[in-house]
Amino acid sequence: MKRLLTVAGIAFLLVAPLLTNNAFFQHLMIMVLFWTLLGASWNLLGGFAGQVSFGHATFLGIGAYTTMLFYLSLHWSPWLGMLAGGVLGALLALPIGLICFRLRGPYFSLATLAVAEIVRLVALNWEQLTAGPVGLLITTLPQVSIADHAINWESKIPFYYLAAGLTLFAIGLTYAVSRSRLGAYLTAVREDIDSAEATGIDTVRARVIALVLSAFVVGLAGGFYALYFRYIDPDAVFAISLSVEMVFIAVVGGLATTAGPIVGAIVLVTISEIFRDRFAAGHLIFYGLFMMLVIRYLPEGIWGQLRFLLSLERRR
Amino acid sequence: MALLEVSGLCKDFGGLHAISDLSFQLQHGEILGLIGPNGAGKTTVFNLITGFIPPTSGEVLLEAQSLLGLKPSAVVKRGIARTFQIVKPFRNLSVLENVTLAAFLHEASRPRAEAKAMETLARVQLHNKSAVNAADLTLGEQKRLEIARALATQPKILFLDEPMGGLNPAEVENACGLVREIRQDGITIILVEHHMKAIMAISNRVIVLHNGIKIADGAPRDVVRNREVITAYLGKRAA
Repeated sequence: MKRLLTVAGIAFLLVAPLLTNNAFFQHLMIMVLFWTLLGASWNLLGGFAGQVSFGHATFLGIGAYTTMLFYLSLHWSPWLGMLAGGVLGALLALPIGLICFRLRGPYFSLATLAVAEIVRLVALNWEQLTAGPVGLLITTLPQVSIADHAINWESKIPFYYLAAGLTLFAIGLTYAVSRSRLGAYLTAVREDIDSAEATGIDTVRARVIALVLSAFVVGLAGGFYALYFRYIDPDAVFAISLSVEMVFIAVVGGLATTAGPIVGAIVLVTISEIFRDRFAAGHLIFYGLFMMLVIRYLPEGIWGQLRFLLSLERRR
Repeated sequence: MALLEVSGLCKDFGGLHAISDLSFQLQHGEILGLIGPNGAGKTTVFNLITGFIPPTSGEVLLEAQSLLGLKPSAVVKRGIARTFQIVKPFRNLSVLENVTLAAFLHEASRPRAEAKAMETLARVQLHNKSAVNAADLTLGEQKRLEIARALATQPKILFLDEPMGGLNPAEVENACGLVREIRQDGITIILVEHHMKAIMAISNRVIVLHNGIKIADGAPRDVVRNREVITAYLGKRAA
């Protein structure tokens, strides 16, 4: 059953953009993938290890700015820049983790929020490097050919497949971690941090590794954001609201599940578009109301509940 | 050479001297009972040695190597495992998973760690509950689970914090037998316990703490006759 779902999901992922020529729908599909990617990365740390970060936009911003700046100033290929964005995000996660993981529970969450604000303000004010609030713009992307076919960057299809590839990578990583010794250690950290230490688990190390992995993938996503929108500024990529949205995706989908972020992203992106369309100015009120209902009635998330109903997995 | 040597250990919480100048040695193969009235500092001694809280001053040597400044997980790797007075199993995980997590310390592959964990569970007679959630065990079973989890890290010394607290007489009997068996397997034991009959029966040696100060250290039957110990427990008139 699980394998069937996986195969069907990947098949749909491959043919989906061919089903419509409507650029808006294609954009929505890309956004679903983009948010799945972010939710899955956040879930690595927030879901499996139970360490709720409110500052993941930091890594998104670092990834976006790295890709942009390396392309604009050093003329690096954006693909290499994207990878560099992931690596820099992961490197930055190291000191952040070592500092913030001295704190537990809500204090950790507040520390991540503080760090994210510091990074945003630096990006906003370090104008020589980031151009501050003016932002950075790419007008054309370099030509890339696959099997002698030049890729048309004005179409959304290439970005769709790029996002799909990144998302599969993030979900594959989540799955691999959930099956590994690291995954077991993270679960122990979430369950009881004292017991985890008493069991010989270096809880700081386990959490830092999870954060670094998570930051790497979010950094890649940041690079994707820069290439897809071709314009970034600190309020677009370092915003608190981005960090919070990642939390929502993971919580609504189902914490510490591999498929949760997919469900979370599909539901939230769709609902957000419908509400925006229907209620215009007041749409966030309804979005908030929806969040409250999910948290009250589906505390394990939509996928968490479905999985139980379908008995895909014995309830833990 | 002593297996564990504690010298001049002190811990102040603000103005309170929780532990004052505590020194003792532990020889290989001993079962050492640590007793004292409530608030005497017994659990604090455990927390100081196992790295959960840093001492104000003093030294702790395991096989002549200092344990000070190590994180709890690093102390476990050196060979000291502990249980908690108020049990802290991973409540939403199965009994097997609880112990497997500990077995991972010396065994990276999951199948082998699980096999080790099953062996350890058999030793504490929990192997037929391996699939049950830890939260669904009785208190006595949870205490045994914590012992299994500690054993799975393959310790040289096992610190047991009230392994018999809250157990019924049959379970206490059972726990005494288990502690003796663990010692026979070559693991040295320190236990904090209020159950006097049990501690007198299984300890080779007893240390009595009162207000953070060691007031007696000797064979169980000598310690119970010690005037200072009787005063600490029952007041001056009884002595």
